[in-house]
Amino acid sequence: MATNIDFKDLWKQQTSEKPSIEELLGRLKKFKNENLRKLLITNILLIITCLFIGFIWYYYEPRLITTKIGIVLVILAMVIFLFAYNKLLSPIYKLDTTQTNTEYLHSLYSLKNKHKFIQTTMLNLYFIMLFAGISLYMYEYASKMKMIYGISAYLLTFLWIAFNWFYLRPRIIKKQQAKLNGLIDKFEEMNDQLKD
Amino acid sequence: MIFEDIYELYWPKIFRLCMGYVNNAEQAQDLAQETFIIVWQQLPKFRNESSIGTWIFRIASNNCLKQIEKEKRFAKAELPIHLEEKKQESMEPQIQLLYQFISELPETDRIIISLELEEVRQAEIAGIVGLSESNIRVRIHRIKEKLTKKFKENGY
Repeated sequence: MATNIDFKDLWKQQTSEKPSIEELLGRLKKFKNENLRKLLITNILLIITCLFIGFIWYYYEPRLITTKIGIVLVILAMVIFLFAYNKLLSPIYKLDTTQTNTEYLHSLYSLKNKHKFIQTTMLNLYFIMLFAGISLYMYEYASKMKMIYGISAYLLTFLWIAFNWFYLRPRIIKKQQAKLNGLIDKFEEMNDQLKD
Repeated sequence: MIFEDIYELYWPKIFRLCMGYVNNAEQAQDLAQETFIIVWQQLPKFRNESSIGTWIFRIASNNCLKQIEKEKRFAKAELPIHLEEKKQESMEPQIQLLYQFISELPETDRIIISLELEEVRQAEIAGIVGLSESNIRVRIHRIKEKLTKKFKENGY
């Protein structure tokens, strides 16, 4: 027997209380405040870091150019990292929601791939600059120590760097990518649904 | 068009679209609210290049498609607590089944069938989804067959 269910009629019977406009706009305000807070926190962190390094520069009065380059590299590493991170979250990366579903899914897919690339590249760049900066920065102080202490200071630093680079970094990347890859796979699957 | 009018007219439609997508009243409320927040923000940019309906449905359906991203990030996102929920139990089982079956379809099919049941013209659905009209027609036919089959399996 052929069932004759009127899907349209059933569909229309689903109802829901509409929230008041005030409530809706209240939520918008909350969103905006949250975003503003996030932006403020990252930037305050950035300023504190810069002030701290500036303080070291001023207080210890480095003589060698290597020390200064080191300091600049460390600051730059943090600035670039935070900048890229801010940008990833910023509305520049918000997609046009008024595209067709096909276009939108496609942009979502490529955006996530771009995120993946930026995250990994930035993290690598961050670590390299940070390590180079610290190694240069140390030179002035290590060179004033007794040979054996200077060498051990560098040895310890390199051990710490190696730990970061070979253990911590891959783990961070893996964790970041696991989430993004899940999304990328899902968006790819949805893209495929629209192909015939 | 004034936002208030759009909100009045489209809220039930958008809510049903979201409900078909997630089959969870709380989540659907959330998705629908997000849609209207975007509509509110984007309305000044609306240029009549497409009909307002197409435009709003695009925003709503794209927002649904994107929600998988939030599932992980805001798993415990706070939901508006004071929104009175209609009692789901009192609803006819057939309605519940319909929404359940739709939410089990592939993501893009959920949107296509929801728009069809909302009586959006097929040419417009094509414009929302970004497929040809004939393609949409074939898909709708297939989806309806699937739904009918599922209803039959459940004794209707």
